[in-house]
Amino acid sequence: MSAPEENDPLDALLREQNVYVDDAGFTARVVQALPCRRQTWVRPLILTIAIIISSVLAVLWLPWKNLPPLNVSDLTAPNSPMLLPWILIISVIGSLVWSLFALIPRED
Amino acid sequence: MAFTDADLIARVLAHEDPHAFGELVRRYQSPVRAFLLRMTRGDAHLADDLAQETFLKAWRKLSTFRGTAKLSTWLFGIAFNEIRSAARKRKELSLEEMDVPPPEASSPAASAGSHLRLDLTEALKVLSSNERAAVLLCCQNGLSHEEAALVLDCPLGTVKTNVLRGREKLKRQLSL
Repeated sequence: MSAPEENDPLDALLREQNVYVDDAGFTARVVQALPCRRQTWVRPLILTIAIIISSVLAVLWLPWKNLPPLNVSDLTAPNSPMLLPWILIISVIGSLVWSLFALIPRED
Repeated sequence: MAFTDADLIARVLAHEDPHAFGELVRRYQSPVRAFLLRMTRGDAHLADDLAQETFLKAWRKLSTFRGTAKLSTWLFGIAFNEIRSAARKRKELSLEEMDVPPPEASSPAASAGSHLRLDLTEALKVLSSNERAAVLLCCQNGLSHEEAALVLDCPLGTVKTNVLRGREKLKRQLSL
């Protein structure tokens, strides 16, 4: 509980010095400087469209049928043929997941 | 009939109404500017620049305000972030590094001897930035410890400690 104490001289002093700051044109300056606010739906819309297009492209173009079986020992080999397709697929899925997280509005 | 904050926010979000936002600025400019003035140790120009930037940021980010906290709490949070950013940009000491009090702060004998009663503005300068922010938010602006923790983005226990330490230092400085 942080409510100021009634009889505490410090709280009384702090309250006493909490004076109103005269606007003196401050509000007018802020309103004049307001930039065009981006519409709130633009960002989610762009992201959603991008995610849908990327997902469709990923389903159509990625080599799902020719995907080599995942073998951890082969993954460590420098010129393993399975390395590239798996990295590609993991990157694409990672990007899609990241985009989905970006859709969540933040309060800051 | 006076509009509530929620009405004005809804108008800003729906119609980008600068007049509705102007009314919000008019309502909250005083506590925000006073807080920034204290936090910048009386630098009025810097405080007003930061206050303006605070409200411009609020305008841009208003859609992210969910109403779970009071609007004033949310604005104080933006203002405090602005202070931190300004300190970083100016390559000054970080807020945490500003904890070293001036020599007179730890010499109660000297202050008792001279019976010097610093006014509150001067006394607040003795506090570290985190202590000052915690005291101003909780004891002057009436925020709860939980709300102050939200504004300062730090644990609740840290806020309570900073309020306690800050108050003790102020009482010593002001001989209360």
